[in-house]
Formats: sequence, C-alpha cells, structure tokens
Amino acid sequence: TAGNKIFQFGPCKVSMSMTEIRSGFNAIKTNIQARDPIRTLSILSHPHSLHKVKPSDRCCITHHLFNFYVDKVFKHCKTEDSYVNRKISSIANSFLSVRRKLGQCHEQNQCMCGQESTEKMKQILGNYEGLNVTSAAIKSLGELDILLDWME
Amino acid sequence: EDVLLPAPQNISILSTNMKHFLTWSPVIIQGETVRYSVEFQGEYEREYANESWIPICECSLIAATVCNITEDISATVAYNLRVRADVGGRRSEWGTLKGFFNRITTSLTPPVMKVIADGYHLLVELEDMGPAFQFSVLYWKKGQENRMQQKVVKEVSSVVHLDTMEAGPDYCVKAQTYVEAINRSSSFSQTQCVRAQGGTSMWL
Repeated sequence: TAGNKIFQFGPCKVSMSMTEIRSGFNAIKTNIQARDPIRTLSILSHPHSLHKVKPSDRCCITHHLFNFYVDKVFKHCKTEDSYVNRKISSIANSFLSVRRKLGQCHEQNQCMCGQESTEKMKQILGNYEGLNVTSAAIKSLGELDILLDWME
Repeated sequence: EDVLLPAPQNISILSTNMKHFLTWSPVIIQGETVRYSVEFQGEYEREYANESWIPICECSLIAATVCNITEDISATVAYNLRVRADVGGRRSEWGTLKGFFNRITTSLTPPVMKVIADGYHLLVELEDMGPAFQFSVLYWKKGQENRMQQKVVKEVSSVVHLDTMEAGPDYCVKAQTYVEAINRSSSFSQTQCVRAQGGTSMWL
C-alpha cells in the first residue's frame, strides 16, 4: 500500500507515508547528490552513525531531525529544476505532517530527550553550520535516505 | 492600452479515490486559444518558504480547463491552488481556489468486486485502485451474519482466496477500501452471494 508505517517510540505512535516520501526522494536523489561536491563529509553520520543512538533516545532524535529538515534544510534547497522543486515540496509537506505528530508526543512528554540525543543533535548542527548554507542544505537533503533507513 | 485578461473563475477540485483534479471555467476570447497555467502551494511553502508557489509543468500553458494534481498533492496537509490565463502575450491575474484542499477530504467509493465460487473455493477479485488502497473483505454464511469473517487485503494480486465452502449454503461477501495515509474507509460494496456447486462455477 502507500506504505504508511506506524513508528512506535515507547508510548508515542506516529504514522508516516514512508513509501510516498521514499519515492519522492528516489526521484531526485541522483540529481541532488550530484550537486554535492564535498564527498568526504557527512552531516548525519559524522563522527558517529545514527545507529549508535540508544533506543530510549530514538524518539527525541527523530523529532529533532524532523525539526532540522523542516526549519533549516528544505528551504535552502530550491533549484532551477521545477521537477526537483516539486519533489522537494512533496517531501517537505510530508515531513511537516509527521513533525506535527512528533511534536504532540513531545508535548505529552512521550518523547523524552536524553544526553545522547542532545549531544548527537549538537554534532549534526555543528556539521551543518561548518558549511555554507546551500551546500549544507543540499548535502543534508542528499543524506535523507540515511535518516529513512535508520528510522525503518 | 491592453485590456487585462480576466482571471479564470469557478476553480474547484474533483477528488475521488485519492485522484485529484483541478478544474475551472474557460476564459472566452473570440477567435483566440486561451492557455492556462497552474501552480500549487503546500503548508510547508506557506509557513517556511515565504509563501512560494510551485508551477506544475504538465499544466503549463495548456488549452484544457482541467489539471491532474494528484502527484503534487502527496502529503496530508492543506494546499492552495491557482490558475491564470494567457493569450497572445496578454496574461490574467491568478484565480485562486477558494479555501484549501486537503486530500483527507477525497471521496472514497466502494470497491468494484467480483465473487467467484470455484468449486468449493470462495474467491474474490478486487479492482486495483493504486498503492494507497487496502481492502477489508467480509464474508459469511447466509443467515449467519453474526459469524462474519474478515480478510484485510493490503496488496491487490489477481484473485484472493477467502474460504473453502461447504456444499449447500450460500456464502456472501462485501468489501470496503481503507486508505492508511488519510485513515479513512469507503462504504461497503453491494453484497454478493454464491454457492459451491461441485467443481463448476456457480453464480446466483
């Protein structure tokens, strides 16, 4: 089906059209990654992979990452290619929808933040701010599958 | 001085089974072919991208007064849509859809279903309605509505095997669709009943 996935983070349950997001991303992945000249750096995986995050911190780091993409990344990814822009819009609006649900969990204290997720988010923002904003945004968008794979 | 072209009017959405179409009334200019262009704006664009609009290139300078926006309405958020007209170097203002469109309001129709008695096997054939759709199929022995059984079909393959029937009683089936992305179901289809008949297919 449209591959709606229910993500369970302890008491917090979030449903997400994962297949729609992935198909939107896969449609532009090559184009976006080709715009990222800096191969030796990673925004999400440096210095440690997301897989190192403790299960108890998964909800919080997911919430932070959705905020990161909605607040910082998508808006700086506008391209000259209308098709790419449409797919970015599709992903961004899906992320906005999911972020709202994660935010509700956060407000109901079902998405607690530990030291590790705070630390990890600091690293990601540090990696992001170490580049100029367009390069950082394009690189982050190109790494979206890292986030989706980790979530699944 | 060039008379400004009137903006398209009566802009509306036709949305059925997660297929979404924008339609509008034609702008009539005698002896000219008026062409139209469509743009959309999701909640993300309104709140985080300076209220920017995104053109739909398949509906750029088209003569038709309908545009398939299904591919761009791919999140369950509120969308704005607008259309403008062009003819001979003249361009109208944008005509904007009154109110937002959210795919959660799509109308869901009961699925087309065909029930088959293949010998003692109760089978059902379901229409493929696209990746967004699941089906809930209910089946029971006629007269035993209180012992209804359910089968959820997540991906439509050719035929779905429901049960092995006993000879004699009628078996009845009805189905509804379910769209996870918007968490809604259609109403049920008409009930269809069949009866096992030796090895031959039997319709009632």
